[in-house]
Amino acid sequence: MSFAPLVGLLIAASILSQTAGKRADLDGVWILLRAQVGTLRLTAEGEKKRAAYDFQKDDPDFQCKPASFTRVMHTPSPPIEVRQRQDHVEVNYEFMDIHRRVPIKQGLAPKDAPYASREYPHLGRSAGQYEGETLVVETVGQSAGVLDTLGVPGLYQSDQMRTVERFIPSGDRMQIVVTHYDPVYFEQPLIVTFSYLRLPNGKIESWGCKPEEATFERFIRDAK
Amino acid sequence: MHRRFEAVAVALGWTFLSCGLALAHHSVAANFDQSKTVEVVGEVKEIAIRNPHSQITLDVAKPGGGVTEFFIEWSDKNALLRRSVPVSLLKVGDRVTVSVMPSRRLPNLGYFRTATLPDGTVLRDCGFAAFREAIADGKTGCEENTR
Repeated sequence: MSFAPLVGLLIAASILSQTAGKRADLDGVWILLRAQVGTLRLTAEGEKKRAAYDFQKDDPDFQCKPASFTRVMHTPSPPIEVRQRQDHVEVNYEFMDIHRRVPIKQGLAPKDAPYASREYPHLGRSAGQYEGETLVVETVGQSAGVLDTLGVPGLYQSDQMRTVERFIPSGDRMQIVVTHYDPVYFEQPLIVTFSYLRLPNGKIESWGCKPEEATFERFIRDAK
Repeated sequence: MHRRFEAVAVALGWTFLSCGLALAHHSVAANFDQSKTVEVVGEVKEIAIRNPHSQITLDVAKPGGGVTEFFIEWSDKNALLRRSVPVSLLKVGDRVTVSVMPSRRLPNLGYFRTATLPDGTVLRDCGFAAFREAIADGKTGCEENTR
């Protein structure tokens, strides 16, 4: 019996693994240390939309609908969880109970990936790959609407937006550098950098958002 | 600035409420004045520890008699549990003094700082920033949330 085919397979797998990059220590539960929004240059249409933004009517949070992954990560206290699997990465966001699954498959275009979150298809389709120890996730197919209500309130996205997130590990710290490319609303790509701290023994809890409890209107309602 | 009041400006409050809310968005810094502390004395009417924000409702005596409601906004339930804040010490019917940072726009709304309970226990919440610092320092969380 010849072992040549097996040895060949192992060599090929090793080469492929090096091309795809090494999986670093991203696994764990992370809390937000800080978020930094880069230079914001909106198109005329982007400025118009932002000026017309009315948080009472337009903020999807009040309907318990996460606007975008960027908006979700801007919420300070609820942590996120990263779990790297054989062929995909799970990213679980406590805020709004988002369970995101990012396939890691050589050559998979994001447009051909399944919805990243079954519960929230408007968040688009994501595909990931490793560049060295950095996990790079590209997302397309995000529905047009509000992108952010907290870091940059009233920021809009079009359905042409493409987003690249780079998960960069550094021991008990992690950075997620998000770049939004949107020819409709952004004159130049918008970069938002989230810095995280590992939460030892951390656990993602259920959020259980209810629209009637998520809005300031309850103060009017309750006062009546 | 510390000031104490037994009742809130009800008439002014209704004026604000009837005009509708003009809050920019729902971040704590945007809606509450973190440079000020107001003490509100009242009876706990309702406690809702929940996401995305918890809420305590106090019945506060009006100067001319009767009571009015004062709303206290607080962190989300998950964060309070994660910071080990003993929220169960607060009980409906108790007369308490709650320190709040006042709303920038509504006179009968504030954000929780501390609560002094009937037995003198002070219920504290170190807050997310202090919790985060404690984790960064290698601790398991906030040291003490009651005194």
